[in-house]
Amino acid sequence: MSLREIERRFHDLPLRRKLILSFLAAIAVAGLITLYVGTRLQHRTIISLAEAKVRHDLASAWMVYNERLAGIRDTIRLSADRDFLRDALWSGFLGDVGARLDRIRRELGLDILTLTDGRGQVVVRSRRPEISGDDQSADPFVMQALRGGSPGGTQIVPRAELLKEGQDLADRAYFEFVPTAKAAERAGTYEENGMMLKASAPVVGRDGEVIGVLYGGLLFNRDYRLVDKVKDIVFKGEKYKGHDIGTVTLFQDDLRISTNVMDDQGKRAVGTRVSQEVNQAVLKQGVSYLGRAFVVTAWYITAYEPIRDIDGRIVGILYVGMLERPYIDLRNRVIATFIAIAGLGVILILGLLSMIAGRITRPLGVMVEATDRIARGDLAGRLDIEGRDEIGQLAQAFNRMTGDLHAAHNDLTQWGRTLEQRVEERTRQLRETQDQLIQSEKLASLGKMAAGVAHEINNPLTSILINTHLLLERCEDHALEREQLTMIADETTRCAQIVGGLLDFARQTPATTVQADIDEIVERTVQILEMQASVRNIRIERRLHRSLPRIAIDKNKIQQVFSNLIINACEAMPGGGVLTVSSRLSRDGTHIEIAFSDTGVGISPANMPRLFDPFFTTKRMGTGLGLAVSYGIVRQRGGTIEVQSEVKRGSVFTVRIPLEENIEETGREENGS
Amino acid sequence: MTDTGKKAILVVDDEITVCKSIRSALVQENYDIDLALSGEEALQKEQVKRYDVMIVDLMMPGISGLDLLRSIKTTNPGVQVIMVTGYPTMKNTLQAMQIGAFDFLPKPFLPADLRSLVAKALAAGEGQGRASGGS
Repeated sequence: MSLREIERRFHDLPLRRKLILSFLAAIAVAGLITLYVGTRLQHRTIISLAEAKVRHDLASAWMVYNERLAGIRDTIRLSADRDFLRDALWSGFLGDVGARLDRIRRELGLDILTLTDGRGQVVVRSRRPEISGDDQSADPFVMQALRGGSPGGTQIVPRAELLKEGQDLADRAYFEFVPTAKAAERAGTYEENGMMLKASAPVVGRDGEVIGVLYGGLLFNRDYRLVDKVKDIVFKGEKYKGHDIGTVTLFQDDLRISTNVMDDQGKRAVGTRVSQEVNQAVLKQGVSYLGRAFVVTAWYITAYEPIRDIDGRIVGILYVGMLERPYIDLRNRVIATFIAIAGLGVILILGLLSMIAGRITRPLGVMVEATDRIARGDLAGRLDIEGRDEIGQLAQAFNRMTGDLHAAHNDLTQWGRTLEQRVEERTRQLRETQDQLIQSEKLASLGKMAAGVAHEINNPLTSILINTHLLLERCEDHALEREQLTMIADETTRCAQIVGGLLDFARQTPATTVQADIDEIVERTVQILEMQASVRNIRIERRLHRSLPRIAIDKNKIQQVFSNLIINACEAMPGGGVLTVSSRLSRDGTHIEIAFSDTGVGISPANMPRLFDPFFTTKRMGTGLGLAVSYGIVRQRGGTIEVQSEVKRGSVFTVRIPLEENIEETGREENGS
Repeated sequence: MTDTGKKAILVVDDEITVCKSIRSALVQENYDIDLALSGEEALQKEQVKRYDVMIVDLMMPGISGLDLLRSIKTTNPGVQVIMVTGYPTMKNTLQAMQIGAFDFLPKPFLPADLRSLVAKALAAGEGQGRASGGS
């Protein structure tokens, strides 16, 4: 996966995971650095602690070593001062000296204890009294003692000398080299000399002259007392998982001759050799070596220091080692604890982070959801996010936005509804207007025609009327003729009235408007007609508003309209009934509505469309012009007359007059003749 | 006024029956009555004879009643003119009165009404100085 792809994948992650991952990366980097530095430090601290202890243990080992040497030196010096030795050397008679020396040797735990005379010739060997007389004056210990010194130290003892002291010592000293990894190249395959801790003291005669030398020693080869003692003192025999924690070794040259380091079969690992590295440092350069070393089967923290003989030559190595395992385990435990604590911390922080990230991203999730809802058209939802931070502010802004959207949407919906209503309303109005227009056109053309017709008919009527009257004037004595002529004159007059009505309708005299109270006009009209109505058994009920605004109107004309409607209503109730006259302000406050509601015969649906047509009448004596004229008057004022009717139940004629005077523009012109 | 002492009346209407009917209605009053069937004819007759009263139909082809009235009133303001019409409106009534018509009689009318109106017009004409009088 390329870096770019990783980046792209990271980019596609949910915000919460992104946050957590980012935090985690930061923690991981910081944690790893801390862990690395921490463990390094722990390791160093623990290891250097161990090394300090090893150095200290090596010093303790030296102390045991030197104590042992001092013990040997003191014992030799004390023993050399014993009278039986002086006497024997003085007299030359040995007697039981051999046996007594051997006893002392055993008590002291020494391997050899030998007496020489004043020239360094061996007088008695406590181990092997039978071998004596050989010259030991070249031995540095003997040499120094002969001069009155009482030296002590380490010495490599050749096999020949060991053989003199006994085959067993020579055998103890003999080692075949056990092949050892990492050891330096070495010629030969065995070691036959021994390494001995040795001391000597002069036997002084009565005159103060040196009459002999007593020297004794401890062969280290395969003698484990010293190393075990050091182990017991320094490490108190502690074990760790079956291994001794502390190990001590004496090397003769680079050969392990006394040790408590065990090999894999549980035997002391003598006969093996030191590693080349240690060999180089300690044996060749004569410096102490401190550090980690693989000793036979396991890793140890070790300290090596050279052992020098009495002449200062390096002859061997004293080694102290501590099993590294407990320290490594300790270090591992510490590191493990450290990691555990760190891990716990990371988990804790992760939890916290997850929570924080959740807190940060949850509102965003809610917002995404809300946005989806909005996209689906649900605008009602609100975000319930507290806080004044950026997300809180975003949420507030979001709420404002959705609120506005919701309001706008509602407005739009409302608008749509209102628009529909308005369209319906307008359509209705348009239809009405159209109907009225048709009515108006009908009336207008009829008006023109009426004028012409009236004029033409009036001429013959004039002739008929005049001549009939002239005839009447002449036949005053002829009753029958008079009656017939009177009939002709009356019918002619009636014709003239019809034509007159027609002309009234055709003629639109200019309105003379004054501010008037409609209720007052209604009241006056009702009063005039009430008497006639009551004769016909009709009750007129008034339901007037009484406080309508005054409007500009032609009082006479509108009274004519009301009068027409009341007369029509009365005529619709031949058997009597109730006429209810009511007035009110329209719901929108722009019109005054005067309703004339009768309980009469009603209007058949077939007749409804022709109601306002001139000359349309259902009455025997009607001219058919009343409603047409009324309609014309109301239209001229900008109003309408609406009719609702149910056969046998009655009719309602409603006159609607706008408050504002709005004289119809298409009002008919007067025609001069 | 004619030399016979009779009052001279000119009836102007495009319909002969109307003209004759008016003459019949006025015959008993002993007036000197002439008929004209158009505005043009009326103007010709008016040039050769002086009339006391003229009865003029408002709506006629050619010279209309109002034009005739206007013409008579300029040349001979002393003539009393009674306008008759089958279609009286506020507009033409007012116009006629302004130009100087004596009165306005809507068709159809009764002989009695006509007689009394003509009598009034003649009386007004005798008064002279009252060139235009109310009804």
